[in-house]
Order: sequence, then C-alpha cells, then structure tokens
Amino acid sequence: MTDTTTTTTGTAGVSRRTLLKGAAATAGLAAGSGMITGFPAIIASEGVTLRYLGTAVNQSADIAKKAKEDLGITIEYVPVTTDEVTKRIVTQPNSFDIVDSEYFSLKKLMPSGNLMGMDSTKIKLADKITPVFTKGEIAGKQIGDQGTAPKKVFYLPDQFATEFSAEPTQWITLIPTVYNADTLGIRPDLIGRPIESWAELLNPEFKGKASILNIPSIGIMDAAMVVEAMGEYKYPDKGNMTREEIDLTMKVLTEAKQSGQFRAFWSDFNESVNLMSSGETVIQSMWSPAVTAVRSKGIACTFQPLKEGYRSWASGFGLPKTLEGKTLDGAYEFINWFLSGWAGAYLNRQGYYSAVLETAKENMEPYEWAYWMEGKPAEKDILAPDGTLLEKAGAVRDGGSYEDRMGSVACWNAVMDENNYMVRKWNEFIAA
Amino acid sequence: MAAPALTTSKYAPYWQAAPIALIFAAFFLIPLAATVVVSFWEYTEYSIEPAFVSQNYLDVFDGCFADLPNLCVTFKTYLSTLKFCLIVWAITLVVGFTTSYFLAFHIKSLTVQMALFMVCTIPFWTSNVIRMISWIPLLGRNGLLNDFLLSTGLVTERQDWFLYSDFSVGLAFVHLFTPFMAVPIFNSMMRIDKALVEAAYDGGASTWQTLWNVIIPLCKPGIAIGSIFVITIVMGDYITIGVMGGQQIASIGKVIQVQMNYLQFPIAAANAVVLLILVLMIIFAMTKLVDIRKEL
Amino acid sequence: MHSEKRGPAFWFLAGFFGLYVLFLYGPMITIVVLSFQGPQGGLTFPMNGVSLFWFEKLFAGVGVVDIWTAFGRSFRLGLIVCILTVVISVMAGLAFRRKFRGAGLLFYVAIASLIVPSIVVSLGIGLEFRILDDVIKSLGNALGIEAIQRGYTTGMGIFTSGLGAHLTWTLPFGLLIMFAIFNRFNPSYEEAARDLGATPWQTFRHVVLPIIAPSLIGVGLFGFTLSWDELARSSQAMGAQNTLPMSLQGLTTTVTTPEIYALGTLTTAISFSVIAICFAAAILVQKRRARRGSDAGKGVV
Repeated sequence: MTDTTTTTTGTAGVSRRTLLKGAAATAGLAAGSGMITGFPAIIASEGVTLRYLGTAVNQSADIAKKAKEDLGITIEYVPVTTDEVTKRIVTQPNSFDIVDSEYFSLKKLMPSGNLMGMDSTKIKLADKITPVFTKGEIAGKQIGDQGTAPKKVFYLPDQFATEFSAEPTQWITLIPTVYNADTLGIRPDLIGRPIESWAELLNPEFKGKASILNIPSIGIMDAAMVVEAMGEYKYPDKGNMTREEIDLTMKVLTEAKQSGQFRAFWSDFNESVNLMSSGETVIQSMWSPAVTAVRSKGIACTFQPLKEGYRSWASGFGLPKTLEGKTLDGAYEFINWFLSGWAGAYLNRQGYYSAVLETAKENMEPYEWAYWMEGKPAEKDILAPDGTLLEKAGAVRDGGSYEDRMGSVACWNAVMDENNYMVRKWNEFIAA
Repeated sequence: MAAPALTTSKYAPYWQAAPIALIFAAFFLIPLAATVVVSFWEYTEYSIEPAFVSQNYLDVFDGCFADLPNLCVTFKTYLSTLKFCLIVWAITLVVGFTTSYFLAFHIKSLTVQMALFMVCTIPFWTSNVIRMISWIPLLGRNGLLNDFLLSTGLVTERQDWFLYSDFSVGLAFVHLFTPFMAVPIFNSMMRIDKALVEAAYDGGASTWQTLWNVIIPLCKPGIAIGSIFVITIVMGDYITIGVMGGQQIASIGKVIQVQMNYLQFPIAAANAVVLLILVLMIIFAMTKLVDIRKEL
Repeated sequence: MHSEKRGPAFWFLAGFFGLYVLFLYGPMITIVVLSFQGPQGGLTFPMNGVSLFWFEKLFAGVGVVDIWTAFGRSFRLGLIVCILTVVISVMAGLAFRRKFRGAGLLFYVAIASLIVPSIVVSLGIGLEFRILDDVIKSLGNALGIEAIQRGYTTGMGIFTSGLGAHLTWTLPFGLLIMFAIFNRFNPSYEEAARDLGATPWQTFRHVVLPIIAPSLIGVGLFGFTLSWDELARSSQAMGAQNTLPMSLQGLTTTVTTPEIYALGTLTTAISFSVIAICFAAAILVQKRRARRGSDAGKGVV
C-alpha cells in the first residue's frame, strides 16, 4: 500500500457516506465526533475488483452496492458453504482476493501458508476491535474460551508465520466481520413448556422432532453441550477432546439417532429454516438469523437461552498470501470501510454482532441499538435491512443484551487436535 | 462395427479420435492418476505430503475384517449404497422400459412420439437442486400428501416416513434418473425393425412371447447402457442422498465429500479408488453379459 | 400392436405413461404454484396469498447472489459444451467405425470417465491446475516474463478447467450415443457416394451428416442438459466463478423464500420454449427427409 492511498480525507468520506444514508442525527454525531478519521480516500482503488469468497450468509448485495458507491471497488461474491471456504483456501488460493472465513478454521488455514497476516497499522480501527477477539473478554469479564476462541488465533508473530502468537503483535490473522452466540432454536407453540437446558435436545419427548447440524466440527460441540448438560461427563475442554471423549460423545449421539430422535440433520441455513417452519422439528441447533427468518413468516420460534451457555462462532476477513499491488490496497481499503460503521450497523440489524461497536452504533437508530444490543424492549417496530418487519414494538431480543449473550458463551467452534479421528467417527455416526 | 472406411487414409481414425483422447488425458487420466498417487500419501489437517503408505486403505477398512460377521462402517455404507443402487436400477428399468415401449410401439405418429418424448425430458432442465427440494412440500409431516391421506381417513395420524427416509431418497433417485434409463432403451426400440415384430405376431407369438423373445433381446444394448448410467450415478451420489435423506443416510459419495471438506484428500482418494474398483467390477460383469460395442 | 385396434394393453400402457408424466411433473407443479406465493409466503404450503412478488424480486436480483450472471455463465458454458460434445463425439464415432490401435483402451477410458465419482474427478482437476499454476508462475519468475509475474493468477476458470470437467462428463454419453447411431448406419449410402466419385469430406458432408443430423440434435441437447445441471464435477474445478447450480446451492444457505421456486418456474418455461423450437426444427428435417424418401437415422437420439 502506497502513501497516497493511506492518506486520509476523512471528512469527505464521512459526509458523502452519511448523506447517502440520510440519517441526519447519526450524521451529525459521526461527523462531529470525528471518530472515523481513518476513512480512506475514495479514488485510490477506483476500478479494483475484489473476488470475495465466503458463505452466502455474510454476502449482502447491499454491502457490495454501498462499497461500490463509497469506494468504487467492485465486490464480486463467490458464495460457497462453510466447509468449502476452508477447502478453497487450502486448495485454490488463487481463486479469491479476500476471504471471509471462520476463526476455527485458522488452525488448518495458517499452517497451509496460503494466507498472510494483516498489517494492523493499515487497519485504521484495529485498536477499536472488540476485546472479545483481542483479549477474550467482555466489559472486563473473561468469557468462556473452550474450543478455538478467537483470542487464541488472533495474532501472528510475523506476516508469513504459520503459527499463532499468544501475545498481541502487528500481524492479525483475520479482521472480524461477524460473530454470534448460538443456542437451540425451539417452537414454543408446539412444545408448550419452558426449555432451559441443552439436555432437552435428546429428551425422548421430542423423538423424531429434533435436529442438529451436519457440519462435524460444529455438530460435535453441540453434542458436547448436551452430554455435559445431561450430566454424563464433564469435558476439560469441549473444543479439544481426546479420542475417548470423542467416542463417548459419538456414542450418546449414535444411540439417540438409532432410537429415532432426529428428524434430519441440516447442513445449511435454508434447511434449518425449512425444518423449523414446516414443523418437521420443534427443537434443533440453530443460527440466530435463521430464527429471525422463521419468525418473519409469522411462525413462533425462540432462540432459547440455556443455562449451560452458548456455543459461539466468529468469522473474519483474511487475505491470500499472493495478493499484491492495487488489489491488495483495495482489499485493505474495503476492510477499513467495512469496519467504519455502515456495514457493521447493517449486520447488527440482522442479529449478528459487528467488530467495531462504536462505529456501528453511530450508524444505527438509538431504538435499534437498544433492541439489538442492549436487550431493551423495542420502542418501534424492528425492520430488517430490506424493510421486512422482524419484530413488533415491545418485543425483546431472545437472550437479551450483547453483554448477556456474549458473556454467557461456554465454548467456541473448534478444530481439535484429533480432528481427523473425529471426522472418521462422525462419518460412522452418519452411517449408523 | 465393420463399417467401411469413411476415408481411405488409415490414419484417419487417429486424428478423428485425437480430440476425445486428448480431453480425457488432460481432464480425466491425469487428475485420476493424481488421485491414485495421493491415496498413498500422508496427510495432516492442512497439507498432504508425498509418501508411500497404505495407512489410508487400512483406515478405510478399519476393523472390517476383525469384526466379521458384524459389518463395519465401510461395509455398511457400501451395502446401503448398493441397496439403493439395486432398488433404483430395478424401478428405473421397469418404468423406463414400459414408458419407452409405449412410446415406441403404441404411438404410431413419429411427431406425437417425439412430442411425448420431449414432455418426458423437459423437467430435466430445471436444476436438480430445485427439483429435489420441491418434494419437501409434498412429502413433509405437514405436506400435501399427509394432508390428503388424513382428510381421506386413510391414515389417522401424520406419517413421518415419507420424507428424510429411504423412501424419499429412492423416490428422488427414480424421479431424477429414470430418463438416463429410458432414453437409451427408447433409442434401441426405435431401431428395431417393425417387420420383425410383425413377423413374430404373424408366426403366432403372443404379445408376451414377442416381448420376451424379440423386443427385449434387441433392447439389451439400450438396457445395458441405461443401467451403466443409473448405477454409476447412484453409486457416486451424495447430493440427493444428503438432501432427501435429511443428511442421516450414509453413502460412499457422502463419506468422500465429508473427508474432502476436511481436507483429508488421501483417505478420500483411497475411498474413491475402492469405489472405482467396485464400480468397474460391476460394469465389467455387465459387459460380459452384453458386449455393448458390438450390439449397439 | 399388430392390430390397428387399441386394445387393453394400449390403455394400460397409456395409463402407466400418464402416471409417469404426472410423477415427473407433480413436484414441478408444486414449484410453479408455490412460486406465486404472496410476499409473506414460505417455501412450503399453505399459500399466503397469490402474487408475482417473487418473480419481481427475482428480476431485481436474488438476495445476495448475482443469479443472472451465473445464469448467463452457465448458458454460455452449456452452449460451448453442447457444440464441442457434438463435434468431438461425431469425430470419435467415425474413428471407432474402424479399427485403430488403442480403440479398446479409449473406450474403457470413456466408460471410466463416466463411472468415476464426479467429486473425485473434480478434485483431481483442481489439484492438476494448482500444480499448473505453480509451474507457470515459477517459469514466469525464472524467465523474467513480466506479464506472468504481474498479471497471472490462475489458469483455472469456467472455460478452461470447468469446460474440461464438463466434457469428461458429456463426452462418454455422446460417444455411446454415436456408437448407437453408427452401428445402425447403412454403409451402402457411403459406398454409393464413393462410387460416384465423392471425396471423403463430400461423402461425410452430403451423405452421412444429413442422415445422422436429427440424432445429433439429441446429442447436443444431452450435452447441454448435462452441463446445465452439473454440480458435483464443477465443485472443485470452476475456479473463482460459480455456475448456476453452484450459485443455487449457495443460495440455499441464505434464501428461504419462494424466489428459488420462481427461478425454477422460469427455467422450466424457458426449457419448454427451447424444446418447442428444437422440436419444430426436427420436424422440419423429418418432413424434408420424408419428401426425399429416406428413413435412416429416424431415432430421436
């Protein structure tokens, strides 16, 4: 990245962006506070096209359109499934310019040497990234770090290192895009009683009406939450099981499967929504926006907070090692823009959490912020970014505030040391 | 196959066959060779390393021989895949043959024949993905079929086994792949000299006798090709089984796919090699029954 | 069938055929019906009103995925695959009419290409091009070719590795169909042409080609359809860009609306039109042939 592109013309960027947004109050606040001083020049990367690899969940046409308006950068989405992202990074590192990958995959990705560390001095808001990532804490309180917690894989000792650094450094593996805390989704209308524990997933009461997801590394974490909740075993680290622990977990799952507990397994967002909304399942592991999607069809669905806590995940931007020149500059510029607020607000309004909360807050209406982030009852109707009604006024977000939800994280999606063994056992489970 | 030369040059077949040979070499043989080589490599979570180990094959058959007569996972999976293969093959054969027979021998007008044939092929231009998920509103617990059965009193409570079951997988296979069987059979039938059939009837043969002794033998090549298509597709499938089986039913293709998703290329490659050998054996047995090239 | 009268066998078979067509179209009908869902409607019954809402949305672009670009891409790829499949299969078909060294091997390779699980072929091609990229890059660096050092990223793409992957899928089908065509082909026409002094090319152009033409429409349609729907073989071999089925699969990770059905309805409608056109063309050819009094190559495929 050359000097010219790092020169900032913050005011120009902000005024144009905020004018387009048309939220006068927010505009005044943002421009007045001068917080987004790092907003990059618009012209530098005009005409650059970035091939953006990721899951379709994070790839919004609105964000691409806005980036084009603000930066002149064309975003070309390459939507694939979660596993496919990892595979493409390892096997086809030339096929993308920027990738949105899950943190837990990093244990596989960095040793492959196909991604490079990102220079935090070029990320304007690097020090504003939420401490959930940098320190593994929220509001000064440590949160659960079983599994591949982002803080364990956030820094690299040098740009092209293939191992992680325990101490903060200049080099960051992934710049967070979205993260969330997952739990079970339930159909309160069909269940008719309170659900409080992960153990309910395998309760025979829901025989033939339960589901978990068929992404082994995530599915086994949910299973571990269940096993612990049932009091069968207490894992030292759910995110890094020994072979015996894997066997035990899979045994519990297999017994449930053979007795017909599961209606189906789902492997993508859409399947999970359809299973739930068509009444095929009444309790299943689920992702927050999927719950929202079911609810927007007028079907009761709760993203049920459970006493054992949440299983959390996070994903972020990475850059392929071979990226250079104008495209590299463009990628940094896009990432800086992404953190500067508009995109963050957009994601927050879908029920995700964004990396730099201050800038996202500036781009959201106060009532929206209160509903999504503070766990307060909605003052007005809550609309999705595309204008569909998500919640009527008075509704409260499942699980409450950001601090309540992220603070109750029990474990993170993970890649285990015994990953290969786990995948083998998972295949056996599917065949059982 | 002893057709006369199209050209007088004896080199003609070589340049004529060159493009297909080159394409297979570049996009099939080399990749396949890579796969076989890699099946003997070692792997970690993120890399594959040249080596020559049989560990991957041992892993594929882990416990398979020690545990007999209990079936290990690999055997179970192959058995389940073979089961689908057999069922789907039988049904597509009957359905494909019957519909083709109707079109070829009962429809007199060539135009109507072709029109009906097209009617059978048009759905195949809609993406498989879409056609698969379109069964869900029909077969689901709250789907149309259940609604219908409940309202007619044929069942008293909602049936679960229509969807995410062996039944739905088989149904989708038949739905998706019958044309692969029907097209070659229809093609064979259209080539049967109608005079032969007439002669059989004139000689006093019944419809069944004619069917059994004249038509079916002449359709054998079409049946063989159709069978190859259906068997190979079902053996390697993982998408249909995944979607229609609710991801709960194992198939060897699914195992390979999961292993590849987790970057375990060598063991996936080993599985692929085993699968390849098995399928080749089936096909080889079939070509023993029918020499496809001769009888086409 | 020896009698002109339509007996019970006819009606039984007609009924069977009708049921089969119903079975084929049943789910299609649900797709079509559900694609007219009201704005609040979901992917399953019941209907929440009736509207063209999802078609409008579809034309405005499906959610996050640029479906029309993928649509165009798949269409172009399908056309190229279709043409190459016809040309290469005909050439290979001609070659196989005579003995040549390696004929048996080539035949078994073609069959193998069909039966090796698609996902394996795809993986192999992906690996192959990755190695190729590395070789080209190091060559560029070694020889100091600036264009390669600066501009080259990958040789993978829809029309390189992707096209190859699809051809390994369509060509075996094409070849088998050509076998069927040429095996029933009466060589006396060619002999006659040659006796009249036609060159090999003239014989092919004016005698063989017209006779096999209707079957070639079948080969082409087959090639296009197989490519249009192909998913497993594409998965690792397309490089950065997605084909339509790949985009659709990606879509299922986010789209939970009947838009996806609207797309299905639309492709079916387009298929109907395309087939109708091909059908009309084929009938025209048949008519012309009928006038000339030849019935060779009468099969549809």
